[in-house]
Amino acid sequence: MIRVEQLRKQFGSVTAVDDVSFVAGDGAVTGLLGPNGAGKTTTLRMLYTLMQPDAGRIMIDDVDAVANPLAAQARLGVLPDVSGLYPRLTARENVLYFGELQGLTGTALAARTDALLDRLDMRAIADRRTAGFSHGERTKVALARALVHDPRNVLLDEPTNGLDVMSTRAVREIIRRLRAEGRTVLFSSHVMQEVSALCDTIVVMAHGRIVASGTPEALRAETGQQTLEDAFVALTGLERETAE
Amino acid sequence: MSRWLQMLVVTRKELRDAFRDRRAIYSVLFGSLVGPVLVGVMFNAIADRQREIEDVTVPVVGMAHAPALVEWLRQQSGVTVVAGPADAEVAVRERREDVVVVIPEDYAKKFRASQPVELQVVSDGSRTASRPKVQRVRALLQRYNGEVAALRLIGRGVSPAVVTPIRIQDREVSSAQQRAAVILNFVPLFIVLASFTGGMQIATDSTAGERERGSLEPLLVNPAPRMAIAGGKWLASALSAALSVGITTTLCLLLLRAIPLQDLGIRFRLGPGQIWWLLVAVLPLCLLSTAIQTYLSTFARSFKEAQTYMGYLIMVPTLPGLLSSVYPITSQPWMYPVPILGQHLLAGDVLGGKAPSPLMFALAALSATATAAILVHLTTRMLTKEKIVFGR
Repeated sequence: MIRVEQLRKQFGSVTAVDDVSFVAGDGAVTGLLGPNGAGKTTTLRMLYTLMQPDAGRIMIDDVDAVANPLAAQARLGVLPDVSGLYPRLTARENVLYFGELQGLTGTALAARTDALLDRLDMRAIADRRTAGFSHGERTKVALARALVHDPRNVLLDEPTNGLDVMSTRAVREIIRRLRAEGRTVLFSSHVMQEVSALCDTIVVMAHGRIVASGTPEALRAETGQQTLEDAFVALTGLERETAE
Repeated sequence: MSRWLQMLVVTRKELRDAFRDRRAIYSVLFGSLVGPVLVGVMFNAIADRQREIEDVTVPVVGMAHAPALVEWLRQQSGVTVVAGPADAEVAVRERREDVVVVIPEDYAKKFRASQPVELQVVSDGSRTASRPKVQRVRALLQRYNGEVAALRLIGRGVSPAVVTPIRIQDREVSSAQQRAAVILNFVPLFIVLASFTGGMQIATDSTAGERERGSLEPLLVNPAPRMAIAGGKWLASALSAALSVGITTTLCLLLLRAIPLQDLGIRFRLGPGQIWWLLVAVLPLCLLSTAIQTYLSTFARSFKEAQTYMGYLIMVPTLPGLLSSVYPITSQPWMYPVPILGQHLLAGDVLGGKAPSPLMFALAALSATATAAILVHLTTRMLTKEKIVFGR
């Protein structure tokens, strides 16, 4: 469970995130939807404690992420917007390294890594260096790395960005499985289909603020639009901007 | 899991990662080998020069005019007499010969009449390389002069001592080992340099390289204290630097043992303990050199920028070395706790055969380690800055 209250972040005179509050519950997928520059990545970076909020509160389960960042990180599995693998290490070594940093050791780590590599269908590439991997393969390794310590909460920053159809389907499948396992999944996206296909709750962001939130149906009803895409455009004020 | 264990996890990963990189291996090897190779080449050149002086070939013009002199020259050890070129001056000017002795036609006549004979020693004073050889030839002729004079005096019933009011005796005050240390000055320099070249690749690749690849952000998402991350990377580069220092030191000492230093007039004895003292002197520097490198590379915006800093940084350890080879520095106690300079002096002392003072070793090691700790702390703090983690 992730609870965010009145989060604010300023870069110089620009307010990147302003008064953002939402709750992402257990066993549910929450989508952070918004155009580029809406403040999604900044919000996530504050959640995984690499950025300090200027105001507000973040609770990961029952841990205050601002006061106790390391404990919060132990409860989080994170896929940042760059996969950033080590090209000279094999896929397995990349996963093992992060597992060790999470405090796993020995057979427990080996077993967990094996299981993940299996589940992500990576057996064939597990012991190859990641230098020549495709974008889809890199994303899978990064996902395995994020999940190695069996986190209760999973943050994914644009997980399907730039992936081909098969890899996108695989990632969606993983997200559904994480939900079925009762985890909290929070992911950001600017792709409508993505969000409508997966999310139980949608949090729509624009210009650093939350402009709407609720189930896909509720959002459609609220804006009086037939499709979610129209609802999105209406909510974020994109149309108005283009008109101006 | 304790932060120390996490630090070791980071260290192990960085070492494994680096030694799969050919560039890293080459940079360690090149940094370790360049010193020993250059030392070998330098000593070879000195040995060649020395041999040239000892085994001297003297071209003589007009040998037939002074058979006794030529015969005496031939009997001197290491001397070979050959017929000189007809155009002695031209030959020397054109550098075909270093020195030519010209015996005049009236040698025998004047010698019999006990008149001074003018022997010409043709040489080019602007050529420093041939100077020892010229001096050797001149000394040989002086000695012959002295012997003949002594015989003549004895023949006339005069003791040769009468015409020798003073006799000069050279006494060198620096010990043979100290003189050796002047020539061996380069060895400490190369060992100190190895502590900088050996860890450079890991220091830059694991910090600036990590950021450029975009792997710093995922790395910092793990619940490892920044100190474990910064410390682990630093320790990996320090170990790599220590490896390089070990290789350089061992090879240099093996080389010095293999070279017949006695033949060069250097009484230089390497005890088995010296390699340990050398390592004790320089290894703490590995902690500092790599701490500086890790700090600068974390600060750098890119791998390239980091490498530029490394290029400037490598000039720092050469400064005391360069200065001391131009103005031989007399070591003062205050110099030992100065990082880099202290290690350089200690290494020079060990090779020069001076009794090592444990206090100075401890002071030098302590100051290097303390400075390193401060730098690692600053690197740790830098890793908490959003501007560093997410680029500028």
